[in-house]
Amino acid sequence: MSDATGLKIAARDVDVFYGDHHAIKDVSVAIADRTVTAFIGPSGCGKSTFLRCLNRMNDTIDVCRVSGTIELDGEDIYDRRVDPVQLRARVGMVFQKPNPFPKSIFDNVAYGPRIHGLTRSRGELDEVVENALRRAALWDEVKDRLSAPGTGLSGGQQQRLCIARAVATAPEVLLMDEPCSALDPIATAQIEELIDELRGNFSVVIVTHSMQQAARVSQRTAFFHLGDLVEFGETGQIFTNPQDPRTESYITGRIG
Amino acid sequence: MTDIAGVRPPRLLTRDARTRRRNAAEFRFRLYGRVAVCIGVAALIVLLASVVANGVGAFRQTFLTLDLSLDAAELDPSGARDVAAMKKVTTIGYGRFLTRQLKAAIAERGIRIEGITDSDIAGMISKAAPAQVRDRVLADPGLIGRTVAFRLLANGRIDGYLKGRVTMKSARLDGNVSPAQLRLSDALRKDGMLAMAFNWGFITSADASELRPEAAGLGVAILGSAYMMIIVLFLALPIGVASSIYLEEFAPTNRWTDLIEVNISNLAAVPSIVFGILGLAIFINFAGLPQSAPIVGGLVLTLMTLPTIIIATRAALKSVPPSIRDAALGVGASKMQAIMHHVVPLAMPGVLTGAIIGLAQALGETAPLLLIGMVAFVRDFPAPPPEGFLDPATALPVQVYNFTQRADPAFAERASGAIIVLMVFLLAMNLVAILLRRRFERRW
Ligand SMILES: Nc1ncnc2c1ncn2[C@@H]1O[C@H](COP(=O)(O)OP(=O)(O)OP(=O)(O)O)[C@@H](O)[C@H]1O
Ligand SMILES: [Mg+2]
Repeated sequence: MSDATGLKIAARDVDVFYGDHHAIKDVSVAIADRTVTAFIGPSGCGKSTFLRCLNRMNDTIDVCRVSGTIELDGEDIYDRRVDPVQLRARVGMVFQKPNPFPKSIFDNVAYGPRIHGLTRSRGELDEVVENALRRAALWDEVKDRLSAPGTGLSGGQQQRLCIARAVATAPEVLLMDEPCSALDPIATAQIEELIDELRGNFSVVIVTHSMQQAARVSQRTAFFHLGDLVEFGETGQIFTNPQDPRTESYITGRIG
Repeated sequence: MTDIAGVRPPRLLTRDARTRRRNAAEFRFRLYGRVAVCIGVAALIVLLASVVANGVGAFRQTFLTLDLSLDAAELDPSGARDVAAMKKVTTIGYGRFLTRQLKAAIAERGIRIEGITDSDIAGMISKAAPAQVRDRVLADPGLIGRTVAFRLLANGRIDGYLKGRVTMKSARLDGNVSPAQLRLSDALRKDGMLAMAFNWGFITSADASELRPEAAGLGVAILGSAYMMIIVLFLALPIGVASSIYLEEFAPTNRWTDLIEVNISNLAAVPSIVFGILGLAIFINFAGLPQSAPIVGGLVLTLMTLPTIIIATRAALKSVPPSIRDAALGVGASKMQAIMHHVVPLAMPGVLTGAIIGLAQALGETAPLLLIGMVAFVRDFPAPPPEGFLDPATALPVQVYNFTQRADPAFAERASGAIIVLMVFLLAMNLVAILLRRRFERRW
């Protein structure tokens, strides 16, 4: 559900510390519903860190501290009453490194629907799995070996398997951390197509190092630099008419 | 720097000095490795060969086959076939009866040995044989009045003669056996009355006293060890695995958990006899559990095995890549689901290895059991579990120790035989572990 302004996630004054290291500095971002938001910036600027705040994956890192508020549909996800497990079922994630379970391809995709009880019969589950694999552009390659181990796939296939796994759970928001870094141009195009399609129902946040990709798939772009959110706005505007000199030098290839 | 290429022109077909040195070093290292492996294997083979060579004898035993006409007047004086009344005839009575029958059988076959006395003839059969006959008759009074073939244990020295341990020369110096008896053995052997057969009694019967090594068996020790392994398996494995999972995955890192961690590592290094003292103080003196009971032994061995299992399990859990946990959490699994569905199955082979190492250690442990009284001489079999856990029993390694403490040379053979049984147990456990590990690993 989104409110009248179409706001899905509102992050305000977020600071993240890894021990003494100040990784995210007072960042405020509004992520709209049914849009694709791209995070760009040089390596180590905190894109992954910020992305992991949005579904509280940072909770698993002992030294990590988050302050500020992040609201999903108007509810603070860092509120004490929130169970992060419930949150993560709604805000799914694809990680920077492909991390399939050492189980069969089928079980990888079926895991989310199974633990959340999304399907009532085996037939329904088969359907969900096939659908997810098709959307992740993997179905044709694996349809004959669904019981083969997911870890036996190539790096790019593994990444698409992870995307299928995330999609199968039907999250409202999908966080993707460089989902195409291990993919060839064909698979990349398919994933971009998927992202575009997902936009019909979900919001997608994607971290990418490819300017072209950000320009192609996203409607809004955030540029991070050394933990600061330098600039955030319409993708077209960021790429054609950046307001900050740092943004300009990054997208023209002078820093990063 | 830049003139290296000039000094040493690149040639692939001739090896330069640096490559030769490197290859020589690698060759030497491989050689050391092979030598080390050979020494290890040779030591193992020598050890196994000596144990087997010394111990196989225990699995064969000399028996005397004798047709006994179970005379009613002698074995059931009241004539009522009443077991209570028949019990009045003691093993001494049966002993005299047996001697007479054996003497008659010898005479009947026309065997004559010079200088043989009645006590020589009585000494041919084991001191355990009268009880053997008596038990069978009391169990089935209907046998009385009939002629029944009995396979009686031969005396340990006669058994030793057939196995080559006792010779004519040693018999002359030995107060327990005479050359006449050995000549009688030869004659009976030719006749077929005296022969060797597989010794089931070694595996199934209880220990026997110093005077009758031929009757000593491992039955009580095997049961005792098995009971203790059951206790250790059902206590140490769940406790160890549960506490490892908690410590590794859930516990916060603070001073307390650090302290617990250090203590567990230290506990693994504590000499096992200390656990025996602990068991004596806590389980026997404080909790009032019976001495020599498998329950106490099992508890002590559980304490001893826990650190091993915990350390192995935690290492196995640590080796599961964190990305798997992230993956599960990322699709909305709870921490518990992530651990139970993904982390523990992946760690399972390591957990099993740890559990088997721990169990094997416990199976072979002697020192703590000595302190809690499991070294006692136990003739009666413990009852089936669970009551049997409280009955006195011994354990295999303790039985080995016990056998080696006895003077009669026939016990040396039995000690090695007991070691063989112990090793078969260990082998079986390792086999189970390997099979289980395969089952868990094969899937991926
Ligand atoms: N688990 C951690 N513990 C301590 N510091 C961390 C941890 N993860 C990241 N950091 C630090 O936080 C900063 C931001 O890291 P982050 O992974 O968010 O960068 P990124 O923008 O995703 O980079 P890349 O594009 O290379 O993936 C870096 O300086 C990094 O060293
Ligand atoms: Mg990153």
